[in-house]
Amino acid sequence: MNPVSLYDIDSLTISPVEAPVERQFYPYADNGGTSLAIAGADYCLVASDTRQSSGYSISSRYSPKAFKLTEKAVLATNGFFADGLALTKRLGQKLEWYKHAHDKEMSTRALAQMLSNTLYYKRFFPYYVFNLLGGIDEQGRGVVYSYDPVGSYEPEMYRAGGSAASLVQPFLDNQVGLKNQQGAQRTPLPLDTAIRIAKDAFTSATERDIYTGDYLEIFVIRQEGVTTERIDLKKD
Amino acid sequence: MDSFVNNFKKSTSTWEDQSLLDNFVNFDPVKEFSLPTFDIPSCLNPIEFLKAHTDENSTTECRIKLEHGTTTLSFKFQGGIIVAADSRASSGSYIASQTVKKIIEINPYLLGTMAGGAADCSFWERELGRRCRLYELRNKERISVAAASKLLANMVYAYKGMGLSMGTMVTGWDKTGPNLFYVDSDGTRLKGDLFSVGSGSTFAYGVLDSGFDYELSAPEAIELGRRSIYQATFRDAASGGSINVYHVKQDGWEFIGNYDVGDLHWEYQDQPKPSLIGDVPMFNIQS
Amino acid sequence: MTTRLEQPKGGFNFDNYQRNVFLEQKGITLPKMTKTGTTIVGLIYKDGVCLGADTRATAGPIVADKNCEKIHYLAPNIHCCGAGTAADTEYTTALISSQLELHRLTTGRKSRVATALIMLKQMLFRYQGHIGAALVLGGYDINGPCLYTIHPHGSTDKLPYVTMGSGSLAAMSVFESRWRKDLERQEAIDLVKDAIESGIFNDLGSGSNVDVTVIEKDKVDVYRNYAKPNERGQKEQSYKFNRGTTAILKESIKDLVIITEGIEEMDIS
Repeated sequence: MNPVSLYDIDSLTISPVEAPVERQFYPYADNGGTSLAIAGADYCLVASDTRQSSGYSISSRYSPKAFKLTEKAVLATNGFFADGLALTKRLGQKLEWYKHAHDKEMSTRALAQMLSNTLYYKRFFPYYVFNLLGGIDEQGRGVVYSYDPVGSYEPEMYRAGGSAASLVQPFLDNQVGLKNQQGAQRTPLPLDTAIRIAKDAFTSATERDIYTGDYLEIFVIRQEGVTTERIDLKKD
Repeated sequence: MDSFVNNFKKSTSTWEDQSLLDNFVNFDPVKEFSLPTFDIPSCLNPIEFLKAHTDENSTTECRIKLEHGTTTLSFKFQGGIIVAADSRASSGSYIASQTVKKIIEINPYLLGTMAGGAADCSFWERELGRRCRLYELRNKERISVAAASKLLANMVYAYKGMGLSMGTMVTGWDKTGPNLFYVDSDGTRLKGDLFSVGSGSTFAYGVLDSGFDYELSAPEAIELGRRSIYQATFRDAASGGSINVYHVKQDGWEFIGNYDVGDLHWEYQDQPKPSLIGDVPMFNIQS
Repeated sequence: MTTRLEQPKGGFNFDNYQRNVFLEQKGITLPKMTKTGTTIVGLIYKDGVCLGADTRATAGPIVADKNCEKIHYLAPNIHCCGAGTAADTEYTTALISSQLELHRLTTGRKSRVATALIMLKQMLFRYQGHIGAALVLGGYDINGPCLYTIHPHGSTDKLPYVTMGSGSLAAMSVFESRWRKDLERQEAIDLVKDAIESGIFNDLGSGSNVDVTVIEKDKVDVYRNYAKPNERGQKEQSYKFNRGTTAILKESIKDLVIITEGIEEMDIS
């Protein structure tokens, strides 16, 4: 008997993979990072850290994810950085068109609704971004709008978003919203107190959230315009 | 021949010029105000794609968490319609917000409620508001609640199976009187006298059905709505925050108030428990 | 006949294993185990072995412990750095440490690093990687300085300089560029410190402080928090609550001491 006949020549040429391998379209990643916004009587504060990470590595120590959109509004994007960037560019272009068409800057309230619509038009292919929009309204009062990835939004007085949101939000609820504090005086929050609270929120979040750190960028929006401040955070 | 040449003349302008013109000169209101258009992922099965990334039970690494969980109710009575809802939005086990306005003011005569996807409800009910306004301008009269709710039902029915999630009640007062419709993203549209929608609806129904009477006075009806939502927030972890109450009357809706359930809890605890037999009233109305 | 429930005498209990596998298939996620994210390293220098570790323990994205100890004692002349599941590294090293102690008492000799190595790898292999311990084993015995790595499945390496954990690549890049034969003691400590710091700053799983242990012939030095490159700064303000901030729902005061008037006569019956 010919020993060669023991081998099934065909089976040797067939790929060893029998079951079809399922490949998924996976266009999302989580780049971590935390943001926070506090609205005051005549100002709005937007703060976010600048660490961008993927998995256990740091992609960039200084990659800002909060952007000034108009002279009266700043957008902080959390989640997937590429989507946040694409969204910001698109909003920037829309705002430019609006300026040329109407010869004025878009109001923060209109911008908030436009952002909601922009997100919802991608309802079936969402931007993986959790947005915080901080600004001042037509009357010069501070306002914060928070969004889910598909455009559900509401105006608020303070909000934390991103990887350490669940650490920072309870702190803000207590210190800014004065929740669970009996007999606390409800006075308007002065800007310097808001900045101190923001700094402490971030140094504390850096202690316990591995995706938060490196630098903190604080935007302060007032009637006169937007100012920026940069502070060091821990880098481990 | 000239038109043929002109066709080509036009194309000498650069792409940017053309799009500039498109935006300013060739403004097409019909196109602009037709159904909104949505981006779809360029993959074999966009619906499965969306499901994989948004489904509660999906194990995909960075799931897009949409806000869910609610108790809403509304019912007809002799004085009109009471609409009440909680204000909690949760994504997974995280309470995303305690201050959501789940009763949407479509216009001064129409109210919509929000259950399911928050973005779906607010977007489509805003779109409904726009269409109702267009209807008013075209027909010189207000749209009926039946027609408005059908507009909404038809709009979301066009996206059936695509993953929209909304359970809403459309209420208002029109020529035929107070009207109440239930509309959801499956395409269901029901006319009714009493509905409760959301994860806490079973708890709300329990209180609502036992205390309901068409002849209730307005304060009693408001208290019934408030108490029903309160009991739902007490037992349903996904409902909570505060309670918003609206009263739909002949001349439009009226906002009754916003009540923190934490405060209500202590208020109710001090009251005598309702008795099934005897003379203790089911609900204690404090004026 | 009566059946008695036997008290387990020790060791692992597999009662709920199948149930947990079933629940996992149903989409229920198990509680997060504390991992030591970790950068751990070791190197051999002129007269001994130097071990190093960071001090961060993580549970998913959250830092569970900012200053944990990852260099474990095995024997007077042997220490072991652990990476992976915190509980596994702790209990594995404690178990082997106990067995080595008994072994020393029976034989009356100093423990050898190779003995610890074989015991560890045989145990880890037996559990087929389910014990998530990745170790760097170092010590000084009759054969001089010894250094090994042990992977969770039981495989081992014997090398002059090693790194392990999620920060192993960052640390190894430092070793690869600067390690050489016959380093002096202080040079070795500095190199280990720099390697760990490279892990601390570049790997999100590692952080906080540097622990160093130096083992030489008949001499072990444990430097807990040898370097502290990440001290927390001063907070901006105090968050002390005013008196009366916490709501009081109910108040009842009870006297625990009952004072009775008059003198009672002593019971002399």
